[in-house]
Amino acid sequence: MSDTPTIMPAAPNVLRTAMLPLTMALIGCAVLVALPWYASFATQRLLVEGFTVFAIAMAWNLLAGYGGLVVVGHQMFVGVGAYALFASSNWLGLNPWLCLPVAALVSALFSLISSVPMFRLSGAHFAVGTWVLAEMLHILTLNTSWLGAGAGMPLEALGDFDRWTRNAGVYWAALAVGLGALAIATTVLHGPLGLALMSVRDNEAAALASGVSVRRAKLSLWLISGTMTGLAGAVSYMNTLQVTPDATFSLNWTAIAIFTAVLGGIGTLEGPLVGTVLYFLLREVFADYGAWYLIGLGMLAIATMVVAPGGAWSLIARRWPIDLLGVRRSMPPL
Amino acid sequence: MLIALETLIGGLMLGALYALFGLGLSLSLGVMRMINIAHGDLIVLGAYLCSVVMQMFGIGPFLSLMLVVPLMFVIGMLLQSLLLNRVVGQGTLSPLLLTFGLSIVLQNFLQETFSADTRSLQAGDIALRGFDLGGVSIGLLPLLSTVVSVIIFAGTSWLINGSHLGRQARAVADDPATARLVGVDDRNFYALITGFILAVIAMAAVLYGIRTPFAPTSGPERLLYSFEAVVLGGLGNIWGTFIGGVVIGVAQLFGAKISSGLGPFFGHLVFLVALLARPEGLFRRIQR
Amino acid sequence: MLSIESVDAYYGLFQALFGLSFSISPGETVALIGSNGAGKSTLLKTIVGAVRVRRDGVRLDGRDVGGDTEPQQLARGIALVPEGRRLFGSLTVLENLQLAARNGRAGPWTIPRLMQEFPVMKEFQHRPSTALSGGQQQLVAISRALVCNPNYLLCDEISLGLSPLAVNDVYGLLSRARGDGLAVVLVEQNVTRALAESGRFYCIQKGRVALSGKSADADHAAVAQAYFGM
Repeated sequence: MSDTPTIMPAAPNVLRTAMLPLTMALIGCAVLVALPWYASFATQRLLVEGFTVFAIAMAWNLLAGYGGLVVVGHQMFVGVGAYALFASSNWLGLNPWLCLPVAALVSALFSLISSVPMFRLSGAHFAVGTWVLAEMLHILTLNTSWLGAGAGMPLEALGDFDRWTRNAGVYWAALAVGLGALAIATTVLHGPLGLALMSVRDNEAAALASGVSVRRAKLSLWLISGTMTGLAGAVSYMNTLQVTPDATFSLNWTAIAIFTAVLGGIGTLEGPLVGTVLYFLLREVFADYGAWYLIGLGMLAIATMVVAPGGAWSLIARRWPIDLLGVRRSMPPL
Repeated sequence: MLIALETLIGGLMLGALYALFGLGLSLSLGVMRMINIAHGDLIVLGAYLCSVVMQMFGIGPFLSLMLVVPLMFVIGMLLQSLLLNRVVGQGTLSPLLLTFGLSIVLQNFLQETFSADTRSLQAGDIALRGFDLGGVSIGLLPLLSTVVSVIIFAGTSWLINGSHLGRQARAVADDPATARLVGVDDRNFYALITGFILAVIAMAAVLYGIRTPFAPTSGPERLLYSFEAVVLGGLGNIWGTFIGGVVIGVAQLFGAKISSGLGPFFGHLVFLVALLARPEGLFRRIQR
Repeated sequence: MLSIESVDAYYGLFQALFGLSFSISPGETVALIGSNGAGKSTLLKTIVGAVRVRRDGVRLDGRDVGGDTEPQQLARGIALVPEGRRLFGSLTVLENLQLAARNGRAGPWTIPRLMQEFPVMKEFQHRPSTALSGGQQQLVAISRALVCNPNYLLCDEISLGLSPLAVNDVYGLLSRARGDGLAVVLVEQNVTRALAESGRFYCIQKGRVALSGKSADADHAAVAQAYFGM
């Protein structure tokens, strides 16, 4: 029996505390990746929705909260991405997962082209202008027979896979989109583009004078956000197997993105995360009330704008001053 | 040729109605620097209110305005003073998101109250009557709505340019803080303006409801047409909004002649193309 | 009598006034002097209600009127000529005056009288107010406050950026207004002018009264010390 206490060297202790979050994150990822082996199809499908809604809300939040670009026609990116996936897979008879890069590429190209007319507008005009563009795409797909017109298209190649593979594959794609959106948003905002955007948001004239290209910064953001949304839209419709003009180009997509970002907190990275959890909690509990549920959701968003414009995250951060992702910014005085 | 002329006249008359939709939006953008995303849903609300009043008292759509116009005026004043005044003057984001939420609430409230079915306002045989003008047939109702629209525009234009109300409106639009120093209570004035806007909306709603069947979800489309009329015409220019509305109406009807489903598409297209050429609208703001 | 009783005023988190007291009697002219950012404009804004203040912070003829809005104070006879003139660019000169006259009180100052006193204004009445020279704009700005027929006229930097000739015109208008028994508070950069035009003065420094007294007895060395805080 020894009375000598074991003296822990200091260095491994420090190392251990530094390793802890990383270990936790790795375990978390492993749990999420392995999910198809232990969770039901229903759970997987719900999580696919969760991850894609998170990515779309994050993309909207990047534009509105950091770039000062309030988009009401955000559904256009969802539609373009989903239609690009379905059309390329159906026409070329290709594996849909291999067509996801095509969907991303088409979304990026569409973002680039659409920036030309849209960036001539600003403020409220820009906001509703994007909606006009989304409505044009909606009407065009409704009237285009080789895109299935009003009935839309199924994703034919998905029929070649068994149910487990199909569900797991879509789930993994959604997981990649969700984690990718978080990683990209964090990286972008910590990098030079993030710095440029912050300076523009604080004072556009001063940023211009100090050599920040406002136009280029906003264009980069628009491309990143549009591609992110397009890809998330494509994966989201792999989950439902059918695209239609009315659903895919529906304003509901923007409404969900706005609710999620507003409830969680616009202009923060944590906001869309918190908002997505809140949105799905509310939906799972109250969705049976139909129109009343939506009325309640709208009123909640209004109340948030009036009472706590920083959203739920601002309330959390006020109580427990933590900065998970290190890019907290106050709401822009737009 | 005759068909083209008939389409043109039809487009002009449809456009006059779109212009009337846009008038309220033009005022809220011009005076309060605020976009109201729920503008279209308020038009639809007006149409439903007319429908309810007509059923309740067994009267025609125009007579129902006796009740609906004051009712909408009060709703507008309450809406502004209780809700919108909290975000007015705070830039683009807050008013836009607040009214976006309001739009969702209104649409679902209408759906819950009146079901998702379409309905229309029955105006008797006036909706069917028309006359022939040198081979071009003109409907009595579109002509009436054009006349009403022109009268309301002329009245509003006179109010803005020649009355104490209009001087207050222009002063508040220029500089709300200084307007308070000369005795204009901007918050109360905004409530008055929104009341006026909703009263105009009520009149537009009747003409719209007789002409076209409407449903709880018809609002957003009305908002887009209103918005296009305002932006095309140039901000702060009342008659510019009228011409903007007419341009959209004509583009839609000619577009529908090309392919029946593409009418609104061509309206949107003309809007975007015109805006690319002149981002500040067809008519610059005219400083008096 | 209009008075401010030991008032603290804030812009957000920044405190601009520290327990400041001030008073002016009917018919009196009082000058507020002090360097930029001393709190002179804030004091005027506090009186008219553009800056928040507690209820008993502002007293008019024995009544607590603090925290009321600008239109309410205007109706009680307190008018402010804001710094930088701030005429409404979408309104003509005449419309600027008509707007104020309609919202203000009845009294000796009417649009026809102002036009008569300033023939040049009559000449420009249908022009947009932005088309005028700085001096002319300042005359219109003071006229816009005068047609409200206030008992207390608060003037913020009315000679700033004007030519010496225009400054004389502006003070000429003021002296006629004072002839009708109007009390005037002058915020003025030009200390000599301010002391010459006023009966009493307050020198404000960093949100506090550093020196006050009769303008005629003002010791220039003491004023300079209070002004610069040396």
